[in-house]
Amino acid sequence: MSLPGGVYRELEAVVGPEHISDRPWILSAHRRPMPHTDRKPASPEAVLLPGSRDEVREIVRICNRHAIKYIATVSSVMPMAFPNEPGTVILHMKRMNRIVEINEEDRYVIVEPGVRHCQLKPELMKRGLSYPVASVGPGGSVLVNFSSSSGDHHTQHGTSRTNRYLLGVEWVLPSGELVNVGSLGSGAGWFCPDGPGPSLRGLIKGWGGHWGSLGVYTKVAIGLDAWKGPEVMPTEGHSPTYRVRLPEDRHKVFIFKFPTLDQLRDAMIDIGKAEIGHAVLKYFNASAALLATESANHFWDLWNSGSFREELTRPLYVYLATWSPEELQYEERVLMDIIKETGGEEVDRSIREIYESNMDFFIVVGFLQRVLRLGGGWSPAKLSGDSVSHMFEIGKAIPDLMNQFIEKGQILDAPDNWQVIPMEYGHLAHLELLFLFDRGRPGWPSIPLSFMKESAEADIKRGFHAAMPPGSGALMEQLGPLYSNYHVWARKIKEAFDRRNVSNPLP
Amino acid sequence: MDRLSDFTYTMESCNHCGQCKWILGPKMRGWKYAEICPIHQRWHYDAYSGQGLINIAEEVLNGELAYDDGLIDHIYRCTTCGACDVNCKSIRDMEVLETILALRAKCVEEGQGPLAPHKEYARCVEEEHNIYGEPHDRRFDWVQDGDPSAEGARVAYFVGCNGSYRHPEIARDTVSILSAAGLRFTLLGAGEYCCGAPLWRTGQIKAAEKQARHILGALNKLGIKTVVTSCAECYGAFRGFYPRIAPLGFEVRHISELVRDLLNEGRLKIARRLDVKATYHDPCLLGRLSEVYVPWNGKIGAYGRHDPPKEWRRGTYGVYDAPRMVLQEILGPRLAEMTRNEENSFCCGAGGGVADAFPDFALWTASERLDEAESTGAEAIVSCCPFCGSSFENAIGAGQRQMRYYDLTRLVKESMDGTKGGKE
Repeated sequence: MSLPGGVYRELEAVVGPEHISDRPWILSAHRRPMPHTDRKPASPEAVLLPGSRDEVREIVRICNRHAIKYIATVSSVMPMAFPNEPGTVILHMKRMNRIVEINEEDRYVIVEPGVRHCQLKPELMKRGLSYPVASVGPGGSVLVNFSSSSGDHHTQHGTSRTNRYLLGVEWVLPSGELVNVGSLGSGAGWFCPDGPGPSLRGLIKGWGGHWGSLGVYTKVAIGLDAWKGPEVMPTEGHSPTYRVRLPEDRHKVFIFKFPTLDQLRDAMIDIGKAEIGHAVLKYFNASAALLATESANHFWDLWNSGSFREELTRPLYVYLATWSPEELQYEERVLMDIIKETGGEEVDRSIREIYESNMDFFIVVGFLQRVLRLGGGWSPAKLSGDSVSHMFEIGKAIPDLMNQFIEKGQILDAPDNWQVIPMEYGHLAHLELLFLFDRGRPGWPSIPLSFMKESAEADIKRGFHAAMPPGSGALMEQLGPLYSNYHVWARKIKEAFDRRNVSNPLP
Repeated sequence: MDRLSDFTYTMESCNHCGQCKWILGPKMRGWKYAEICPIHQRWHYDAYSGQGLINIAEEVLNGELAYDDGLIDHIYRCTTCGACDVNCKSIRDMEVLETILALRAKCVEEGQGPLAPHKEYARCVEEEHNIYGEPHDRRFDWVQDGDPSAEGARVAYFVGCNGSYRHPEIARDTVSILSAAGLRFTLLGAGEYCCGAPLWRTGQIKAAEKQARHILGALNKLGIKTVVTSCAECYGAFRGFYPRIAPLGFEVRHISELVRDLLNEGRLKIARRLDVKATYHDPCLLGRLSEVYVPWNGKIGAYGRHDPPKEWRRGTYGVYDAPRMVLQEILGPRLAEMTRNEENSFCCGAGGGVADAFPDFALWTASERLDEAESTGAEAIVSCCPFCGSSFENAIGAGQRQMRYYDLTRLVKESMDGTKGGKE
């Protein structure tokens, strides 16, 4: 099907002829299956490039009037950015790309959806400010990471998760009505998400976000942190072998290994109690090998050498970022005391050097997509948030789960490829496992599905809190009751806000 | 590995990460100048990007997307600058630019491409051996003081179509520099034809191959061991295209590399520093796309393993330092850097046949680049490619800008004292 001519002309009148297209080659960029699935999305009927909030509102009203489904997207990295069914239009929010305001005094920034991490982060660094970049890569949308999708990142130990940074929001509801969230709603400015004015932050993004299924966010303000590094990233070398070393008298990287996960966990908790460290991670090991290498062959050489498997089975990455050399010395002394008390030791020097030369790993996650280098067959699981201890409890069971699939040759032999990242000095933690599969293997599309199912069922059986709400589909029907029937609430909210079910109806 | 079907791994691997559109994390410098793909920056749709073009390529290959004039126009709007390719290869094992070029080749093979101005290149090259259709026997009219060729020289200066017919001052300055250094070199005379780059970049592979074979024959006949170019397009063709036809029996050097070495050896001397604040623009085919092509006909096995291992062209070893070192000698601290530099350089707009097929877009792209140059405080933009030069000169004129454009050879000529060394 295609859009009725009248509808196309109505939309065209809003955005202008250059900013709407239904040409087949324009649409082709929005209907290719992502490499981790064989499910081909429905082709959208048109792609629109709105240029303002008012244009978005008008488009949404037209879509409601004609029951046309719409998906607002920026980077389109996630499957939710692709149509599930015919009769959908894409609102590509790229033209709305202004940094509206950087308020240095009150430490917030207001951005439109099209602003990318690689644009905002350096602008803030010049001003001695920063914010956490979610693990999506430098081309990801800032607004989306803070308002619409997940948002865990490498430095949330010393900062917090992106949902905690969300302040005022300008929100076009699925119907086209405009809501200003938080202090913005009472004309008091962008500084607070909870008032004076309508406190709807939890509705927008309690934890995971609604992936565009509750309308369109056209501006958000996010809180800012102080930046302890130089105004400009000190980059040397050429692609793909860049070197980014921050001033060594104030920035230092350590990687430790532990005999047991319990010891690693204790070290992580103690570091949080001591309130030191900017980034603390129990990081993936196969993913680390992918990030550290420059081709699939290079990865295999490194992986087969065994050094990353052995040294990083139970690793703890710590990145100290301080204001002064003295502060660094203090944090280092405290850190080394904790490591000694918990039985850790430093990993092979050559591994630590990789991170000393690539501190962007902690700041902008510049090479994240290297994880997909083995052909693109990948999927995350667990994606949970709870206490550090509970995350490790779940984590301990991961190798057994992975090994079931490894023994069948279905996934990469990397049973320790999972991570725990504490947030707010250990107040909470994030858990995630990543499994990689070969797209050349017959029957590969069933692998991620069966893995996810097995993972969730095992968690339910053991009473683990190990899945990220909200979500959709049959699996969520199983998990929902474990989370106070959140899925029922989420569905009712969706129905109340989007009566015609036009805003990115998820399957 | 040159046919579209050779690149299915690339087409199937893309996950829309956006790195083909945006500057790499370690190189990020601010809100402005963060986009690296000219078509994406101009039109915004994903279809206008490396990602979009490989999505289109896959649908064309699978017969899911029918040819029509709009599609062909779309495919030829890309300047083939390769920024998408190099950025993608920083994180993935994909051949984005090769896929785009193979898509164009498929369009030509199936009688759907190229566009009319590109067909005109082929006609002109066939008839007069240059892309402008100028008489072949006037190719060396730029020579003013007699043929500088030295009998039996093993170094050839390959001038190129643009230098021969449109920017003869570059050819003259290059000869002056080579002569001042006492280098024994030869011109190819009637044997110099178009290098084939404009044909290669527009998918006219057979016509480009014909040029390559002719030139390789002419060079081999003279026993040439070193080819010197003053044109990035020619340089890129020699290193990126010719090895697909036959192994190179000679080294290829750009004039900027040669001048750097001659300065280091003391065979050229800078007599005076020039009083101009300038910035340097890296031409695509001299910078990120200049690494020698190494044929690979292996298999991609489980988990992306390439067997045998592949030599990737990622722009790591492009010619970035040589022109900067030369300019440092000439300008001293008055050399400024743009945000998008080296392998992240933003295209001048002339590449891939765009200057002739879509002159408005070429102008827009060059203007964007000049804005960036002006943002550094520079009064002049310097480069090493006559096509870039033409593109910038057009945009400077159209915008009535104060900015000046210089080819590197002009600045070298103006600043040197012409010390002769006498060695080859």
